[in-house]
Amino acid sequence: MARLDSLDLLSRKILQGKLQGERRSKRRGHSVEFADHRPYVVGDDLRFVDWNVYGRLEQLFLKLFLEEQDLTVHLLVDVSASMGVGEPAKGLFAKRLAAALGYVSLANNNRLTISLFSDGIRTQLPNMRGRNYLSQMAEALLGTECDGLSDFDKACRDMSAGRIGSGVTIAISDFFFKQGYENALRRLIGARYDLYVVQVLSPQEISPELAGDLRLLDIEDADAAEITVSSALIKYYKRNLAAYCEELKNFCTNRGAVYVQANSADSIETLVLNYLRRIQLLR
Amino acid sequence: MEFLTPLIGLYAAAAAVPLLLLLYFLKLKRQEMLVSSTLLWKRAVQDLQVNAPFQKLRRNLLLLLQLLALATILLALAGPVLSLQRGPGRRYVLLIDRSASMNATDVKPTRLEAAKKEAKVLIESMRSGSSLSWRDQSDHAMVIAFDERASVVCSFTSDKRQLMARIDAIEPTDGVSRLAEAVTVARAFAQSSGGETNGGSGQKPAQLVLFSDGRIADLDGIVVGAEELVFHRVGQTGDNVGVTAMSARRSYERPEEVEVFASIENFGTEPVTRDVQLSINGNVQAVRSITVPACERESGDKPFRPGQTTLNWSLSHGQGGVLEVRQLGGDALSCDDAAWSVLDPPKKLSVLLVTQGNPVLESALRACPVATLDPCTPAGFDTLDPAAFAARQQYDVVVLDNHVPAQLPPCRYLIFGPPPGKIDVNSPRELENQLIVDWRAQHPVLQYVNMTNLFAARSHCLELPRDAEVLAEFNESPAVALLHRRGGTFVLVNFDILQSNWPFEPGFVLFCYNALSYLGAQAGGQRQHERAVGEPITVENATADEAFTVTCPGGGKVDVKADPGGTVRFPGTNRVGVYAVEAADQPRQSFAVNLLEPQESRIEPQEKIELAGVAVSAQGQGVQRANVPLWPLLTLAALLFVCIEWLAYNLKMRI
Repeated sequence: MARLDSLDLLSRKILQGKLQGERRSKRRGHSVEFADHRPYVVGDDLRFVDWNVYGRLEQLFLKLFLEEQDLTVHLLVDVSASMGVGEPAKGLFAKRLAAALGYVSLANNNRLTISLFSDGIRTQLPNMRGRNYLSQMAEALLGTECDGLSDFDKACRDMSAGRIGSGVTIAISDFFFKQGYENALRRLIGARYDLYVVQVLSPQEISPELAGDLRLLDIEDADAAEITVSSALIKYYKRNLAAYCEELKNFCTNRGAVYVQANSADSIETLVLNYLRRIQLLR
Repeated sequence: MEFLTPLIGLYAAAAAVPLLLLLYFLKLKRQEMLVSSTLLWKRAVQDLQVNAPFQKLRRNLLLLLQLLALATILLALAGPVLSLQRGPGRRYVLLIDRSASMNATDVKPTRLEAAKKEAKVLIESMRSGSSLSWRDQSDHAMVIAFDERASVVCSFTSDKRQLMARIDAIEPTDGVSRLAEAVTVARAFAQSSGGETNGGSGQKPAQLVLFSDGRIADLDGIVVGAEELVFHRVGQTGDNVGVTAMSARRSYERPEEVEVFASIENFGTEPVTRDVQLSINGNVQAVRSITVPACERESGDKPFRPGQTTLNWSLSHGQGGVLEVRQLGGDALSCDDAAWSVLDPPKKLSVLLVTQGNPVLESALRACPVATLDPCTPAGFDTLDPAAFAARQQYDVVVLDNHVPAQLPPCRYLIFGPPPGKIDVNSPRELENQLIVDWRAQHPVLQYVNMTNLFAARSHCLELPRDAEVLAEFNESPAVALLHRRGGTFVLVNFDILQSNWPFEPGFVLFCYNALSYLGAQAGGQRQHERAVGEPITVENATADEAFTVTCPGGGKVDVKADPGGTVRFPGTNRVGVYAVEAADQPRQSFAVNLLEPQESRIEPQEKIELAGVAVSAQGQGVQRANVPLWPLLTLAALLFVCIEWLAYNLKMRI
């Protein structure tokens, strides 16, 4: 935790926040730092009209300011039943990662919203700021079991509806959604938000060690897949998994989002302290 | 390719194939496992199915292999054979020699068994008419077993099972082998072309296949085409020592003494030393060690001559019994190692003299070595019950002097004067002053009898049946005749001796002596108790339907019944040895059945047999199969498929 203290979330875009915070915001607003003028159009706030210029030129110009704003961090954590699978469990890994990132956010006075979703958003801890919220956050994270169907789309819809301001959105899930993740991610990707996609996979998913004639049951919808494990099948599975992850990565990259793949067997520390720093989520 | 047992294969296929498919399509019991999502797995399975070439086949590779293995096993069950023979079905006549020489054990277990085995190979390789083939190409065969006589073991059929069973049932005998009858029977059957054979197979003449050692007595008289007969030789060596002659007889003057004669022959190429043992009723009397020289092989004009040693024993034995001469060294053929002779106890004759009083005749008869001579009046003789008389067998010879009896019990008769009725001899008139013109001095009855001056003042003209033997003739009629009638023997003298000068001749006493001896021998003094193999044993003078038990040399017992004529007949003397015939209230009678055939004792197998004008060589290598059975290959293939299936399964399971 001490090491987390030294970290801070970094938005690659200069994002604006609600409070006048510690970082530069792209938004021109009410701050003292003048940015530019622009011609008035109907509907602009008359308060920002530069009357001095009007006096000289008899044309209406608005004064634009650079504004320093706080950072809003949204953590979208998947706690559906599928996350409970794996050794070590993906859900636990995801929650611990969320806790680490949340801690970093709170410690740096960022506005933190944690949404735990399965079939829609199950628990939401909105607008936390400051270390006071640490215990509440930890309680909420650790007290939530991985259970239920997953409906990522609905969760994103709900979340993006309640999302205001700008900042960083970090989605942590295995992204094995039968209905697809594309629509949902499109909702999250917006001009004002940086999107980080963390895909958590268990070692058993990355290289399955199965043998014999099996009936695989989907833990969420009890869908069954009958397989006879063969080397060819395993080969195709691995190829499919790689393709799936690549597809997700490309989807993210093409839309300016950052994709991170994590193995639930890896240590969170390494991930957070090294990897996320390297991709400049943290500094 | 043909199938020997297509139906079995079909039945098995009908049962097994659906079963395998059923098993295959039954749901596999899969182990259940929870995963976070089946999304990727389903895709992987889809990919596997889509991307693998011949996916359907591959998915069912195991089934395919199992089906293949099963198919090969089923095919093997159907007994496929690769026919090496084309064309219409053939007909074979298997002639299997079962004579004495085929019992030789130089081929294990015996030559006959080896011949049967070869015959069965031939049968097995026959093409069978399968219900699946579109034209009948089946082979037919018949089996004839022969020794002295031929017997049809199995007539023409294509049923291999029946043929095999019948061949297995062929029993060895100790007889001489004669082929002519077998060939005649085979031809008769082949030409009559039984209902089972079809038109196609009638085109070719039946092939005679002879399984023998080639020691066949009557080869010279058999005419066959060189192509018609195939000879399969059985046997290896010719080394054998056998008893080829034996006889035992009592001296007539000293009935206690028995002369035994035996001849031992060696058919091997080395001289042998053997112990020869003489025993009576199983008690060893003498053992003599002899050396039999080697045989002389034929070379040029010189015929084959076995090495021979003869043996003589003279011993005193007052009772009856069975004599056995046995050479003690074992050899390949056991049935000629011993010979038997049945010895009757010495017997003096009992004679019944039926006369009104004839001192000449009576004193002449008393001069002969008879045990008893009972005089009897003609009236007394006529009152005897003939059945009781025959049953008691009290008298060996009845002498009728000038008496025509009312009834003739079966016995041996010496008749002086008119002939009795009922023996097909008529005496139409009387003759006077007859002189002997001719007589058969060589006949035992007239041996040493000089009839030159015999004159009869009165005599009876004899009209004899054809089978009567005339021993002496007067100028107008037979004088002395010999006749067998009604189970008896009759010596007829057609004149009253008191009406002739014969009593004054020395020849008269000699005649009486000879006639009694002859009739006594007929009565059983030297009854035929010896038989060749195959010759039936007959016992006369039994009552109709009387039950007899024949004990064979092996110990087996056969029940025989007398026929209405009072004769017991037992034809089953196929093996050498002593046969005993017993009835409830009759003494045991023994019969010796001997081989005593140098032809059969010479067991050296023939390279080729010389038929009339044609020499047929033995086939070089056993029986050649007409087809190749494919089941071993198929079984191997099935094993291979199972192995591949196992491999495939393991490859599939491996990650």
